[in-house]
Amino acid sequence: MIDIITMLATHWISIIGIVIGGICIAVGVHFVPVGGAPAAMAQATGIGTGTVQLAAGSGLTGLLAAGYMYKTLSAAGAVGISEVILICATGAVGAMIMITTTMIVGNWVYIYGVGVPPASAKVEYDPITKNSQAPYVAPGTVGQGMPTVCFVSGTIGGLLGGLGGSLVYCMLMWVNGDPAISSIFAIGVFLVNAVLPSYNIQGTIEGFHDPKFKRVPKAIVACFIASLLCGIIAVMIPGTAMFGGI
Amino acid sequence: MEPAMGMGLVALMGAAATVAGCSEDLESDIGSQSNPNSQVQLAAQVGYPHRIFNKAISGEPPSNAMYCAVGAGVAMMLLNSVSTSPLLAIAVGAFVAALLNGVFSTTAYMGRNASQTRFNQYVYLDVLRNHVLGIMGHAYVTTFCIVGLSYVMWNQNLIGHPFPFPVIAMIWGLAVGAIGSSTGDVHYGAEREFQDFKFGAGLNAADSGNITRYAEAGLRSSIDNAWFCSKFGGPVTGIAFGMTVFLDNWRSTAFQGWTAVVAGTIIVILIIIYNRYLELYARKNYGPYPEYSGDVEA
Repeated sequence: MIDIITMLATHWISIIGIVIGGICIAVGVHFVPVGGAPAAMAQATGIGTGTVQLAAGSGLTGLLAAGYMYKTLSAAGAVGISEVILICATGAVGAMIMITTTMIVGNWVYIYGVGVPPASAKVEYDPITKNSQAPYVAPGTVGQGMPTVCFVSGTIGGLLGGLGGSLVYCMLMWVNGDPAISSIFAIGVFLVNAVLPSYNIQGTIEGFHDPKFKRVPKAIVACFIASLLCGIIAVMIPGTAMFGGI
Repeated sequence: MEPAMGMGLVALMGAAATVAGCSEDLESDIGSQSNPNSQVQLAAQVGYPHRIFNKAISGEPPSNAMYCAVGAGVAMMLLNSVSTSPLLAIAVGAFVAALLNGVFSTTAYMGRNASQTRFNQYVYLDVLRNHVLGIMGHAYVTTFCIVGLSYVMWNQNLIGHPFPFPVIAMIWGLAVGAIGSSTGDVHYGAEREFQDFKFGAGLNAADSGNITRYAEAGLRSSIDNAWFCSKFGGPVTGIAFGMTVFLDNWRSTAFQGWTAVVAGTIIVILIIIYNRYLELYARKNYGPYPEYSGDVEA
C-alpha cells in the first residue's frame, strides 16, 4: 500500500500529463468531421467513416512519429519539458499529415468519382470562405464531402489528437522507460478518450461549426475522470527495465 | 544511417504502402465491408435481394489492425525462434493473417445471409466459393506490404523504431483501414452501389437500399464491383496511404527536430490550400442543384 502511495506521489506530474493528453484527444475528436455510414453514400457531410476509427488512425500515426522522436532525443540526453514539447509537436504534425491526406483524397472521390461538390448542411454559409452551402447540397441529403470549414476543423482535430497521444506516451515513458508498454498503454488511453466523446457525437459531426460541438464540456468532464483513472493505473505499471530486463 | 539509404527506405515504404492501400480497398469492396455494407444489408430488407457478398466483420480499421498484428506476430516469432529469413517470415505471417480473414469472411457471410432468409436473401454457396479466395488474396497483399514496411521501421539496422514490431504493424493496419474506409469506400458506396441513379445527383435518403443488382450482363457480383473500383477508388486509397507513410517519414528523415515539424506544417498548409482550389473547381463546374428552392444565393 505504501509502495502504491509512493508511486503516485512520485509520478503525480505524469498523471497530470496523461489527464491533459486525454482531454486533448477528447476535444480533438469533436473537431474531426465524420459522417459515418451516410457520408460513405454521399448522404452526409464529412469523412465516410466512424469517429473513433479516424481519430485513432490519425492520432496513432502521430504516435509513431512521436515514438521515434523520443528515441532520437533520449539518445542525445535526458528528455525534459522542452523535448516533450518537440515530441508532442512532431506527433501533432504526423497526425495532421494523415488526416489532411485522407480528407484531400476523400474529396477527390466525392468530386471526381461521385460528381458532387463539397457542401455543408449545418450552415448556410461557410464560416471561413463565406461561400453559400445550401444550393450545393444534393436533394434528400444532409451535405457531402469536406468543404473548407470541415477541412480546417479536421486538421485541428488531427493536431489535438496527435498532441494528446504523444503527451500520454511521453508521460508513460517518464514512468517506466519501456517503449513497448508505453506505446500499448498510450493506444489504450487514446481509445478510451476517443470512444467517450462518440456518445456526444452520435455518429456524425461536421466540425467546430456543428451545433453538437457545444457538447464538448460534457466530454471534457467525462474524459477528465476516465483519464485520471487511466493515469493512476498507468503510473503503477512498471516497465521491463525495472525488473532488470531489456 | 546514410541519408541516401534513409531516403531509399522511405521510398520503399511509400511504395509498399501504396500497394497496401489499393489492395485493402479492393478487399473491402469485394467483401462489401465497412460503411457501404449498410446498404447491402438494407437492400434485402426493403425488397431487393441480391448476390453481393456481405461481410461486415467489423469496421475496417480494427479488422486490418488485427490482420497486420497477427501477421507481424507470426513473422516475429519465426524470426526469433527459427531464424527464418525476414522475407519468408513476413510471407508466412501474411498467409496466416489471410487464413484468419478467410474464416471471418465465411462466417460473416453465412451468418448475415442466413439471418435474412425471411427477406428472400439466401446463402449462395457459389458466391461464397468465388469470392472468399479473392478476398483472402487481397488481404494477403495488404498484410504482406504492411508487415514488410513495419519490419523496415522496426529493424534496428534499418530505421530502428522503438515500438515492438506487431504494435507498429497494428498502428499501420489501423491507419490503412481508416484511410480505405474514408476514401475508396466512398467510390463503392456512393457510386458503384447506386449506378442506376444519375451521376452527380447525390443519393436521396429515400433511395437507401435500392442498390444496383444487375450487371452489364446478368446479375452483378462483388467481383464486378472490385473491377469497377480498381479503376479509381482502389488506386486513390493507395495514393492516400502511400502519401501518409511517405510524407510523414520523409520529413522526419530529411529534417531533424523543429525543422521536421515546420516541414510537416508546410505540407499540411499546402494541402489545405489545394483543397480550397478543389472545392472552387467543383462549385464552378457542377454549379448549384436545380432542385434547390431556398433563399440562399449560389
